Amino acid sequence: MSDLVLWIVVATAIAFDFTNGFHDTANAVATSISTRAMPPRVAVGLAAVLNFVGAFLSLAVAATIAKGIVQADLITPSIVFAGLVGAIAWNLATWYFGLPASSSHALIGGVVGSAFVAAGPDAVLGGGIVEKVVVPALVAPVLALVVSAIAISLAYRIVGRRHPGPVSRGFRLGQIISGSLFSLSHGTNDAQKTMGIMFLALVANGNLSPSDDVPTWVVLSAATAIALGTYVGGWRIIRTMGSRIIKMDPAQGFAAQGVGAAVILSASHAGFPLSTTHVMSGAIMGAGAAKRLSAVRWGVAGNIAVAWVLTLPAAAAVGGLTYAIVWLFGADEAGPVIVAALLLVALTAAFARRLAAGRTLTAEG
Amino acid sequence: MAAIDFHALGQVIWVSLVAGVGVSVLFSVVIFGADKAAGARREGDDSQALAYGALAVAAMVIFSVAVVVGVIVMLRKA
Repeated sequence: MSDLVLWIVVATAIAFDFTNGFHDTANAVATSISTRAMPPRVAVGLAAVLNFVGAFLSLAVAATIAKGIVQADLITPSIVFAGLVGAIAWNLATWYFGLPASSSHALIGGVVGSAFVAAGPDAVLGGGIVEKVVVPALVAPVLALVVSAIAISLAYRIVGRRHPGPVSRGFRLGQIISGSLFSLSHGTNDAQKTMGIMFLALVANGNLSPSDDVPTWVVLSAATAIALGTYVGGWRIIRTMGSRIIKMDPAQGFAAQGVGAAVILSASHAGFPLSTTHVMSGAIMGAGAAKRLSAVRWGVAGNIAVAWVLTLPAAAAVGGLTYAIVWLFGADEAGPVIVAALLLVALTAAFARRLAAGRTLTAEG
Repeated sequence: MAAIDFHALGQVIWVSLVAGVGVSVLFSVVIFGADKAAGARREGDDSQALAYGALAVAAMVIFSVAVVVGVIVMLRKA
């Protein structure tokens, strides 16, 4: 297998990590911005730095992605490439429509779909997917919702009779800490997924053996890409997460971020590649529902749930379709080169549209 | 089909519960203590101001230590 395909895979993985960063910025900063705990630019800048730092803190999730989802010895760099393209396509589609769907499930779905089409069902580790992806995906948002509801109920009991001004100011300060913790946990869990994919491609290409450690340049490039993506930010999704699910007060923002960080950090320790988006959506809904059920805009929450259910199968379908296209052009070299060129054109067009939309939003706001 | 690792899943659930609720409660106590201390100071009740101030400081110390230790423990290789 040509090294050219490997480097296309690495570049595509870094591009995915970048899209993951800007897609998920909202998870880390939306609550801080909507409660005015931090100005948007400061919140986004802090989130970018902490995502970079977080990427260096653990490798358990990278190991799950590299060794627990697909059969590494049946995987080729072209399969990894097609999976990545499927994930990026799904990420861009959900970002365009302002839905906080899961980048992580897009990545896992894309690679699984591509591996299934390329190498058959034997290439997919069904047990590993159920244990490490599906069950945590079902448990994590519900867990975040319940814990967040308990946390905010107790917080209201403690400070409920105090003066609203100092309480709000206090929780706004607290949100700098809880938001930072969430960004750190996001960098830890999400950047590792890209590291795992790059590691898988390096093993598939024969550059590494499965028992090797993740190379430092892989960690560094994943950390840099997610931090830059975070900084560029997903303003469209920030609006959905920050104010469209519920109108939050600073105490709710603090509880949602603190609980989100706790769930993601404990899952990272166990090697579960969680969706940070699902966790944060659950935590925000829990914080809102504990105050009053009608505070949650259940229509928006329903749209998020639909994106949640669709992401794994949709990204798998796109990943499989992409592999078929790559295979048509020639899976060894020509296919990845042509599809990568098409992806580059699509990304450039999407960013041009985003910049135009960003200018419109700024002018309106 | 591999068995579900209920031990790891259970650990995630109880750690999330203790850490998520603990952090929110501790920080609420910080705000409660600080606000009560400020009120007592305004009314000239120095002993109560000192007591509530000490409560706020103690809760802040526990909160800070819990956050730092929690992050270190969670990110240590399993």
